[in-house]
Amino acid sequence: MRDANSFDDFYRSTSARTLRYGRAVAGDSGEAQDLVQEAYARAWRQWGRLAAHPAPEAWLRLVISRLASDRWRRLRGWRLAASRTGPPDDVGPPGEDTVLLVGALRQLPARHRQALALHYLFDMPVEEIAREAGVPTGTVKSWLSRGRARLAELLPGLAAEELEVDDVA
Amino acid sequence: MSRELSRLYRALAADTDARALPAPGLLRQRADRRVRNRVTLGALATAALVAGTAVGAQVLLGGAETPPGPPAGTATAAPSAPPTSGPPAPSPSSSPSTTAPSRTAGGPTASARPTAATPTSIPDRAFFALPAANDTGTGNEFVPGPVLPELCGARPGEARVAVRRARTLPFKLAGAAADAVPDGSYRQSVTVYRPGRAGDVLRELRQAVRNCPRQAVPDAPGVTATQRLLDGARYGEESVLFEIRTPYRDVNGEPVGGEEVHLVRAVRVGDVVTVLWEQGWEGSSTDRAQFEADSRRAAEAIERWLS
Repeated sequence: MRDANSFDDFYRSTSARTLRYGRAVAGDSGEAQDLVQEAYARAWRQWGRLAAHPAPEAWLRLVISRLASDRWRRLRGWRLAASRTGPPDDVGPPGEDTVLLVGALRQLPARHRQALALHYLFDMPVEEIAREAGVPTGTVKSWLSRGRARLAELLPGLAAEELEVDDVA
Repeated sequence: MSRELSRLYRALAADTDARALPAPGLLRQRADRRVRNRVTLGALATAALVAGTAVGAQVLLGGAETPPGPPAGTATAAPSAPPTSGPPAPSPSSSPSTTAPSRTAGGPTASARPTAATPTSIPDRAFFALPAANDTGTGNEFVPGPVLPELCGARPGEARVAVRRARTLPFKLAGAAADAVPDGSYRQSVTVYRPGRAGDVLRELRQAVRNCPRQAVPDAPGVTATQRLLDGARYGEESVLFEIRTPYRDVNGEPVGGEEVHLVRAVRVGDVVTVLWEQGWEGSSTDRAQFEADSRRAAEAIERWLS
């Protein structure tokens, strides 16, 4: 039996940072809203089991990561459903820094975007990112290092010392 | 820590926080409605498959067009069930298709000669239009990306491309409820090849499928996809049909029994090849009758454009 109250509490307490993660992984803000809602919808459908999951938020991020890399197959249904409830609230355009970062992130491999998002948005240490991604810590260090090196190419002005791997360990 | 990147990510977080998500109750309501729709459609698709197996493709098409009944009342009893789309009905033939003869009896194959005027651009009308009964209302999107599934790294015909456009197009089966999610999604490309080379491209495609009966699925350790050529109706001047089978996986990527089967068809008309790749929707497999109807529409659109 699914407990709506516990799901609603989980949603309220996690959805803001989950949406940030979706934005950093998917790039486009509308797409991030779509896939985050889709991930929570799937969470609700499995809430009977997921409520007892040791790390439901990590489960959500995994779903979001997969949806983000498979979005054409899976997300249009949610857009269709969402469109029937009217347009989202008007919000102002994103700031210049966001536009710059999102534009650069779109040119990174998905794995690099995910690792960078977990590091910069969640302050996760490398070991924890590695656990969540199911890869060795060296791989995560490589993703972060290469991701930031690529961002440095795409975003002139990032200092060279920011590319040291050690500062993310 | 990278101060500059930290600042950029903070800006992204602040911008994102301004964008609202729906209230949790509304989200749950939508999620449950989608499950009900899918359960209903899945039952219909299964019924249509049984009918089609018994008496042929025409009945299968008719079954799929049967209006849906009321939503199943047991949706919340099976919240974690995998998508219930019916199994596909691809041709069971195991023999590979062969190059079809030219439609004009006695005439040379178009692959051996360029058409009188090889197009240099591709208009929207080269792409088929869905009938109203199959239109999800979302339209199509012309976006970059692969136009064929992975085939062990082969890139059939890529060196011969002159110009290409490709789109993504969700569709629904006739009779689906108005607020149902789509039943599948097409990736359709139209490619103009260098004069006289399109026939070679289809030969390369057939060979690529033959050479790749099994392959690992990217990002899914231990999961294997199988590919094989299928016999099937001929469209355009020649066509190639193949299927891709993968184990059905839940959202966590774990196999949970059953298979997803998707069909891909390449149709050549002169120097032009259109590829219709049915990619499914949340684990659904290709509906054969719908795929045949849309293959015909795709071929006819190319023929009309070039005539």
